[in-house]
Amino acid sequence: MKPFTATLALSLALSLPAAALLVGPVHAAGASDTDAERLARWQEIRTSIFGDKVVATTDTLVKIDAPVRALDASLVPITLTMPEKDKIAAVHFVIDDNPSPYAAHITFGPAADPGEIKLRVRVNNYTNVHAIAETKDGKLFEAAKFVKASGGCSAPMGMTDEEAMQGMGDMKMKFADGGAGKATEATLMIRHPNFSGMQMNQVTRDYTPARYIQKVVVTQGARNILTLDGDISIASNPVLNFAFLPEGGEPIKVTASDNQNGRWEHSFPLPSPSN
Amino acid sequence: MMRLLTAATAALLLAAAAPADSPVNLPEPEGFHTGVQQGYTPPTLTGAMVLDIDGLDALMAQAEPVLIDVALADRRPAGMAADKPWLPAHRTIPNAVWMPNAGAAPLDPAHEALFLERVAELTGGDKAKPIVTFCHPDCWGSWNAGKRLVQQGYSRVHWFPTGIEGWQDRHETAVVKEDAAWSQRSAGLAQR
Repeated sequence: MKPFTATLALSLALSLPAAALLVGPVHAAGASDTDAERLARWQEIRTSIFGDKVVATTDTLVKIDAPVRALDASLVPITLTMPEKDKIAAVHFVIDDNPSPYAAHITFGPAADPGEIKLRVRVNNYTNVHAIAETKDGKLFEAAKFVKASGGCSAPMGMTDEEAMQGMGDMKMKFADGGAGKATEATLMIRHPNFSGMQMNQVTRDYTPARYIQKVVVTQGARNILTLDGDISIASNPVLNFAFLPEGGEPIKVTASDNQNGRWEHSFPLPSPSN
Repeated sequence: MMRLLTAATAALLLAAAAPADSPVNLPEPEGFHTGVQQGYTPPTLTGAMVLDIDGLDALMAQAEPVLIDVALADRRPAGMAADKPWLPAHRTIPNAVWMPNAGAAPLDPAHEALFLERVAELTGGDKAKPIVTFCHPDCWGSWNAGKRLVQQGYSRVHWFPTGIEGWQDRHETAVVKEDAAWSQRSAGLAQR
């Protein structure tokens, strides 16, 4: 069974060109307040996360790549690019109009190459998303993008909860070697439903309680690569792309824990050196 | 009768896959729909006009309909960490009056009375004032709410089945707070 919201998103996506041709922007009463309203919303969230700290806008320190119109609102791919990567200590990702907006906080350790992060998120309705880069000198810089997707937080997974939880905590990691002395790209896949708590069990018609990955710690030996603080806005079966600077031959260790005391640890041997 | 049952069963089975314009030609129930609110809805609502977004645009261009949103409110998920910001904001058609779950059936008498009282206020007692009920696609709440108003003798009830998603595909939404009178009465009731 396909989530009906995803089906809707698809049908809306297909009907877009026709609709776009037929009508220009029509301003309903109150629509002129929209930008102010979205800004006020962002300010409220920003204060709840960063307090009084100044957050400057940036065109260079962090960029968001996201589909303008997502085909599946429960699986929206996000790429965060931080070209001046030596300056970056952490990155935060916020989905403004999700009821739980603070989707992810990633801090980078000494073994990280923080140039690019990819993850997949749930989007509840048409919304601004914000990425906030934290530089090593403690400053904050924000970038925004508007994403059209709807219903991602409540979309059912199309299987029973038991099926969705099978193999929970299993992990895979794929490597793409960047060459000698370069960063190694890695894709971490964690099997976990990441139940949002807003998804209705299609059989019992009850809401499946939230069960989501709260923390993922990735290390090589004693060196931290990154730490992810997650949320219900991360898509089910979380996938995280990142890059790291390997040193020596120790394996990559991943520790993941969820909000119901689930804890999983896996080790992945480094790819053999390329010839 | 058998065919009816088969159709209803098919509708139930397909409920989670339904787009707004359901391919299943679901008949109207005799009274209210008392089951789960999410699922295929019929293409019609006797006594009311069914609007698509073009129809709603046309109506709003020539009249100021009372817009009644009965979508459920997001509630904080059980099991979410206490320190996570939970900041639900309801985006809907600008100037809509949001009475979450007012399309429930059965609706307790106190809420039913309050709903009708609010609509009477919003229409200024004019039973011929255009009214639009909506929530989300495949949501029986707005169908029930429309039916409730038809039964009360409102003569220009409109049902907008694609709801908030149908609207936001073409127009901007606005953050709207729950109707004050409704929220006073509903305080403490679990939603969504």
